[in-house]
Amino acid sequence: MSLFLPWRRALPAALLALSALGARAQNEPVKYGKVDAKLFDPAQYPSAAGAPAVVLCDYGTSRIEGADDGFRVVFDRVTRILVLTKAGYEQATVQIPLYHREADEEKLLNLRGATYNLVGGKLQKQELDPKSVFSEKLDQYHNRRKFTLPGVREGSIVEYAYTIKSDFVFNLQDWQFQRDIPVEWSEYRAVMPSFYQYKQIQHGFLPYKAQETDVVPYHTTYHASSKDGYGTHLTESGNTSTLTTKALRCRWVMEHVPAFREEPYMTTARDYLAGIDFELDLIQFDPAQPHPVTSTWEKISAELTKAEEFGAWISGRTPLTAQAEALATTYRDPATRAAAVQALVQQAVRYNGQERLYATQPLRRVLEQQRGNAAEVNLLLVRTLRDAGLPCWPVLVSTRSHGQVFTELPLLSQFNYVVAAVPLAEGPELLLDATESAAAAGTLPGRCLNGQGRLVAPAGRWLPLTPRQKFTRVTTARFSLDEQGQLQGNLHREYAGYAGLAERNQLAELGEKAYLGALQKQYTDCQLRRSALNQVDSLSKPLVLDVDLTLPALDAGPAQVYLPLLQFFTDRQNPFQPDTRIYPVDFGTQHEDVLSVALTLPKGYAVEELPKNLVLSLPNGDGRYSFEAVLRDNVLYLNSRLQLRKTQYQPSEYPGLRELFTRALAKHTEPLVLRRTR
Amino acid sequence: MNYFSSLLRGALGAGLLLGAAGARAGADPHWPVAAIPAALRENAHAVIRQQDDIITVKGAGRLVHTIHLVATVLDEQGERYGAAVVGYDKLHQISYLRGSVYDADGRLIRSLRAADTKDYSAHDGFSLFTDNRVRVSDLRQARYPYTAEFEYELVSTNTLAFPAWSPQEDEHVSVEHATLRVVTPPELPLRYREERLPAGSAVAQSQQGALRVYTWQFQLLPAVEREPYSPPLAELVPTVYTAPTAFEVQGYPGALTSWQQLGQWGFQLTQDRMTLTPETEARVKELVKGVDDPRARARKVYELLQSSTRYVSVQLGIGGYQPFPASTVASTGYGDCKALSNYCLALLKAAGVESYAAWISAGRQKAAVRTSFPNDQFNHVILCVPLQADTVWLECTSQTEAFGYLGSFTGNRHALLLTPQGGKLVRTPANAALDNRQYRRAEVQIDEQGHGRATVRTTSTGEQQDELAQIMHQLPADEQRKQAYQRLALPAVTIEQSSWQQNHRGAQPVVTERLTLALPSYASRTGRRLFLTPNLLNRLPPPAPRVGARQAPLQLATPFVDADTIRFRVPAGYKPEAVPAPVQLRTAFGSYEAQTQVLPDGTVQYTRRLQMPAGRFEAKEYEAYEDFRQRISKADRAQLVLVHPES
Repeated sequence: MSLFLPWRRALPAALLALSALGARAQNEPVKYGKVDAKLFDPAQYPSAAGAPAVVLCDYGTSRIEGADDGFRVVFDRVTRILVLTKAGYEQATVQIPLYHREADEEKLLNLRGATYNLVGGKLQKQELDPKSVFSEKLDQYHNRRKFTLPGVREGSIVEYAYTIKSDFVFNLQDWQFQRDIPVEWSEYRAVMPSFYQYKQIQHGFLPYKAQETDVVPYHTTYHASSKDGYGTHLTESGNTSTLTTKALRCRWVMEHVPAFREEPYMTTARDYLAGIDFELDLIQFDPAQPHPVTSTWEKISAELTKAEEFGAWISGRTPLTAQAEALATTYRDPATRAAAVQALVQQAVRYNGQERLYATQPLRRVLEQQRGNAAEVNLLLVRTLRDAGLPCWPVLVSTRSHGQVFTELPLLSQFNYVVAAVPLAEGPELLLDATESAAAAGTLPGRCLNGQGRLVAPAGRWLPLTPRQKFTRVTTARFSLDEQGQLQGNLHREYAGYAGLAERNQLAELGEKAYLGALQKQYTDCQLRRSALNQVDSLSKPLVLDVDLTLPALDAGPAQVYLPLLQFFTDRQNPFQPDTRIYPVDFGTQHEDVLSVALTLPKGYAVEELPKNLVLSLPNGDGRYSFEAVLRDNVLYLNSRLQLRKTQYQPSEYPGLRELFTRALAKHTEPLVLRRTR
Repeated sequence: MNYFSSLLRGALGAGLLLGAAGARAGADPHWPVAAIPAALRENAHAVIRQQDDIITVKGAGRLVHTIHLVATVLDEQGERYGAAVVGYDKLHQISYLRGSVYDADGRLIRSLRAADTKDYSAHDGFSLFTDNRVRVSDLRQARYPYTAEFEYELVSTNTLAFPAWSPQEDEHVSVEHATLRVVTPPELPLRYREERLPAGSAVAQSQQGALRVYTWQFQLLPAVEREPYSPPLAELVPTVYTAPTAFEVQGYPGALTSWQQLGQWGFQLTQDRMTLTPETEARVKELVKGVDDPRARARKVYELLQSSTRYVSVQLGIGGYQPFPASTVASTGYGDCKALSNYCLALLKAAGVESYAAWISAGRQKAAVRTSFPNDQFNHVILCVPLQADTVWLECTSQTEAFGYLGSFTGNRHALLLTPQGGKLVRTPANAALDNRQYRRAEVQIDEQGHGRATVRTTSTGEQQDELAQIMHQLPADEQRKQAYQRLALPAVTIEQSSWQQNHRGAQPVVTERLTLALPSYASRTGRRLFLTPNLLNRLPPPAPRVGARQAPLQLATPFVDADTIRFRVPAGYKPEAVPAPVQLRTAFGSYEAQTQVLPDGTVQYTRRLQMPAGRFEAKEYEAYEDFRQRISKADRAQLVLVHPES
């Protein structure tokens, strides 16, 4: 598999239509209820080793058919799973989420299930009792059906099948080839009539076993209560119309799909899991009259600007307008003014944790409740920046938990978040977000560090969200050793950029007392005499921690003192414990960790041995670690610096990254050896 | 709303006059922050200004609980008091839920509206289905401090579960004033138990017409902070436990003045649910044919249960107490703790072995059962098999647990046996330190660069194997490896080989772990010296830093003994320059020995043994415990220095 494939691939519908080169009709890979004794031997399934269960076959089909006053999607699924160990029992419990909105709904039909056991070579079947299928209301728009199959043991095969009829033709049912257990065979087929053209969004990077498309004749009947305006393809027969055209028939297959595992430093699992989503792109009942559904970014931008829950939501004056206008005269410099406006909005509204693209309640109500979702907080920010006389536009963002964006796919559903952009006289736009009270103006929260955002402006374009700020920690310590072998000194640490944001968030969560209390935990052996935080509220500056501390008496040999000085200031855990990595390491930011220690030696001590200087680099200078120890007069200077210059590292680069951390940590444990000269 | 709250407060009498007057006047401030006594702001994220609970017993099968809660949120960490989170289910209905929020000066910001309240499924994360739901009314504000006031009423038809009254259920929350009022008909007198009540807050009894009234009030309780290694907060704060004398749940009446009666009720729920089909009975009889020893029979039955059932939880109404019939479990092969225990009981009966379901409060570090106050203190069911020589306890929800082993989830606590004669409170077995062993041997080869390669064999028993056994049974192979990395907690290590084996033959379950490890730079090298920490894998962290003078008792939860023997082969030519001195500590909290020896052949041998008891110690002993832990931590990290003579 290539490591440089993009995680998600968008295939334009037109391209697919061109490549329709007569795929043969395929037999179905599984028939519900046709389980035989041969299927039970796990040795025949290569992907099953070490797994609690394996999906033998997961088979889904989607087709469009006529319904009352329109069309609907009919989705059929058959899933067959072999349970290998007790840990695999949970695979026999199945949840089916169902969506509904106003009169439209997804309806579950024809649910069946059974467990098969091989007892003394004989096949026993036990059916799912329809009474033990539970229905649960999740929220306003979602219900969930839940059931568990009876009689499950180690070695059982469980099988279930169902149909979902959906009024939501805008989305064909999506399909995931990969799950938390291995899948031997996963197949999805879709028949999409020429009047509905869908765009496909593919996730993950596993190869297809088969990917076929052809064109087939298509007809369906539908019931009209009033005359429709689409025209020529319809032939009336009473209230029922028959529609004849051609359809695109697609088939996707994956085989021996490994189980999916989350790893640290990832964006949403959906970016990595092998799967396909669909979005309706074009409605075309008459070739002469195509109705584009997802047309262009320009149109999306224009529509959003007018939308009640977006552009129009900030069309009027707000309770913050007067204060914003006052800021316009107080602060001349646009960047400073923008920071003041951001602070004003932060004081008025808190973020409720919901990543949203639209406002869900009136602006006045948001201000009254003092809480809002991301769109509400940041659209208010856009408006208030404008009120302060700054040109400002919303930027559409997909957060890390929502997934990667494709610039070539003009779909609003790719986004789930809004930030604000203020153009500056020089350099790139200033990006602002008022959802985090600890974030300085121009520092987007970590969740937004995900590719590019779309500027919603008359001249819309893509803005890189890659931050200029790094995750930076700079520690300077000065110590002196007294003749009794005790170390006293102070530590000055600056958390800048994203490190500052992370620490300020931590501080807000714990409170200052508990935050400083936790330091004692970190510096176990040291006695902290005084600790203080500075620049807590100066968000554009680093957060500063100053600590005065005493280190305990040192380990000593007969004539030597051994001093692992850097170890006192180092995190002792390697963030990359596992020896392998499947997916890229996506930090979101660059990193820099600098540590400089000056140690003043008293009379009567001399340096016997110092750790060796060291420079390590990743290929292309993508990462670097350096260490240096210098003695000048009676002062010993130790400098350590770790830099990660990329925000994302490929799995092939992982061993190097892990080694860099390992060697850096090892360096910090190397003691200085001092000798008593008297 | 104002009218209602003034009525409510008026009814509550003393101490509330000021608030009531304020409500009448309308424009006067409500709960201004300035009125909070300074002592209550100390160490607090929220202050409960006023909490009034009224429990009205309407009959044996119905009670009404009204709650009025006013809390000032001082900072972000106190935010949970800015919203009301009210759970309900088939047996608990919400009649109303109102609220208002005031600014720091006590001016009304706004009242609760329909849009502030959301309704969710309160899924517990493991059940297939429950009817538990939750209503969340959110009045949280962007600026602190502010004060949120909520009033709501719950009508309960589960009168077995009377509320426990403990206004201070969180750390860092102080209480200005709180009252509890229970109104009950004379034929249903209240049972109650007061624990850790401040002086002067004991019950006051009165009459209200024919009804009996019990009231309590707390004033000026400062915020508490949980200290490390202390008992659960529920065992430290003032609490009034209440219980009925008689109750009824969905048509099942019971009496509750003794454990015997509660057990009687529980037993009666299972009565007609223990019948098996003739085929199942015949299958069991076949299984135990020729096995005379009842313990061996029980083991066979338990193995059958483990191989043919699994845990699936469905909790609806009385189903929270009453098991599915044994015949249902036999056909579906699944059930929850009640259903599986009841099914196992029925299987054992078919095998001619008597057993009893036992209600228990499961979980690590649960508050102890209040034995002198019979009420529903349980959340789980296990099975008790009394035998001639000893008693066997069976955890019926696990398909992998050793026969007769309880572990930290249900061991060492009280359980209520449901017998035909009623309930009996008995204790489950407690493990001693020697039951919870971790014995380790390792051979480590260190090369000239300081890199190490180790083979490690670790045998864990009893509660020390609980987590390992779970990892073994519940995780696929790749995840087991990730867990192994986490457990090693070394800055640089690669696991080259790993295996885990379980053995259920002995008195305690055993897991043996074998690892082969590459340890880059395990020994640090500076010039001609090698620095080596002989304690390879078992470094006890130093004690959590103390917050002020110790208040709570010290609680040591699990007794254990660890023994490590590690042998290092070091590169030729290196001689010891500094060897850690042997350490021997003997205290009430345990004993510790560690020694590093350089053997004549140049091998370094490290031995360490740590044994600690379970138990509770007075707060004043905490300092000595801290000192013990500190000494261990220091000794565990001691380094050996080897030097190569200059060439």
